[in-house]
Amino acid sequence: MPHDSRSIGERVAILAAFLASSDAVRVRVERDDEEIEVARYVRSTATSATPARSDGAAVAEPPPLRVDAIKADLVGIFRLSRPLPFEGELLEDDRELAFVEALGMRNPVRSLGSGRIVTIAAEDGAAVEYGQPLFLMDRG
Amino acid sequence: MFRKVLIANRGEIALRINRACQELGVQTVAVFSEPDRESLHVRQADEAFCVGPGPVPRSYLNIPNIISTALITGCDAVHPGYGFLAENARFAEICADHGLTFIGPKPSVIAAMGDKATAKRMMHEAGVSTTPGTGILSGVAEARSRASEFGYPVLLKATAGGGGKGMRVVEREQELERAFAGATAEAEASFKDGRVYMEKLILNPRHVEVQVLADEAGNVVHLGERDCSMQKPSHQKLVEEAPAPNLHQDVRDMLHDMAVRACVHTGYSNAGTLEFLVSDGAVYFMEMNTRIQVEHPVTEMVYGIDLVKEQIRIAAGERLGYSQDDLVARGHAIECRINAEDPRNHFAPQAGTVAKVVFPGGPGIRVDTHVHAGSSIPPYYDSMIAKIVAYGESRDAAIARMERALRETLIEGVHTTVEFCAEVLGTPEFRSGRYNVGSLPAMLGSAV
Repeated sequence: MPHDSRSIGERVAILAAFLASSDAVRVRVERDDEEIEVARYVRSTATSATPARSDGAAVAEPPPLRVDAIKADLVGIFRLSRPLPFEGELLEDDRELAFVEALGMRNPVRSLGSGRIVTIAAEDGAAVEYGQPLFLMDRG
Repeated sequence: MFRKVLIANRGEIALRINRACQELGVQTVAVFSEPDRESLHVRQADEAFCVGPGPVPRSYLNIPNIISTALITGCDAVHPGYGFLAENARFAEICADHGLTFIGPKPSVIAAMGDKATAKRMMHEAGVSTTPGTGILSGVAEARSRASEFGYPVLLKATAGGGGKGMRVVEREQELERAFAGATAEAEASFKDGRVYMEKLILNPRHVEVQVLADEAGNVVHLGERDCSMQKPSHQKLVEEAPAPNLHQDVRDMLHDMAVRACVHTGYSNAGTLEFLVSDGAVYFMEMNTRIQVEHPVTEMVYGIDLVKEQIRIAAGERLGYSQDDLVARGHAIECRINAEDPRNHFAPQAGTVAKVVFPGGPGIRVDTHVHAGSSIPPYYDSMIAKIVAYGESRDAAIARMERALRETLIEGVHTTVEFCAEVLGTPEFRSGRYNVGSLPAMLGSAV
């Protein structure tokens, strides 16, 4: 629970934002009794998206990750929906990823469009608070 | 006793409740808004959950998120503090519906005391004197006849009223007809209900309130009175003291007796405060606050009773365990409200960051605050940042101690009421203990 430190979800979000803005592919923080590791999902590059230019100049950088967080808008128990979403999963369209149970109501958490799930930031069955990141999505 | 209590509030009162719970061995859950994430009440509770963004309706009044937090953390009770949901009967009912004990009186009593007409009727039934007034007036003829019965000045008020709309002060009979027409028209325009009633206007009364405690078995005691007449022009209290100075013992006894009678009649339980207007030896019931008050520490200082712990014990079904005869007031206590406001600019609230802060200490000083160096003061909430309470064997000793405490206080980064409170303490009115609700506005040169 957030006392003097941020929640796990927020710390993951900060690391993910750092990762997105840097060249690193993996960030790991170890502190006391916890370890957080956030890794960049590497896209399949079987065929180069940007063909080499005939003049031999450097190939353009791949577009940066555009990560946004889907946050809880109420307090309750977080539950993953079926089929279980997984990190790295590419969503073609808007989909229910999870729900937050509050006062006996099932409040869906949707992907809000297409994208790739970078991180599932909350634990299945855990209590979540208002504003807590639940999923980090790459909309790139 | 409860296992875990959710504290549905913020700031100093959330800390105050947390302290009471800790001393009782009860676990706590804090709720907070996004801008309050780093607040002390969040840090000091055993658990804490964000329930919404800064604006009050979306966080500290967000009933679904607050109740959900209580349920998922396994709380068995909710303490509402003051303000926010403290006098919301519906919230108290919702707590009960979810198996949570609301630490306060029954919802029906909260609702009854929250409705001015019902409260006044119940007090009248209990033999508590209320401001002389009428029901809905049939016309100006009835208004004239009742006004001459009460004596001028009188106040015409819209029955659907609020915010001063449809309200007129009538100082003499010649003004009545025009004022009646004006009040009726304004009430009709504002509320689509032109009905008005009349009350005797008590000019510049004292505001004296009585603290009560009642358990669920019907035992009721009072813990004396507080004088809260030092009020800003907005009627917000600034300096309070217990006991009330220069109050005739007969009046004091009458107030205490009425407060206890009112509680017995209404089936009141838990802590509460009955507010009275006192003028020329006459007392008039104004309203009952069905919660802990901001200024409760002055009562705690002179009675040596922890009112918040008593609230929790009573809600858990415990008996008071003492009678009126066991309660003896000793000495005198004064509270100064330290607000992040600019007294030189109509007490305009200040938002910002407290750069530096030193609170007073030493014998007889109590500071209830949630503020520390680096605290941010969000714009969404009440501007009170601390309560400094001074205790002394006598009123003079308490004043001297408070003056010393205010001199020790240093708050940088925002304007505060520290120096203004010291000025108030130095006025001849305060020094003599002969002041009323008109004193502070007069000091500011404002019209009452």
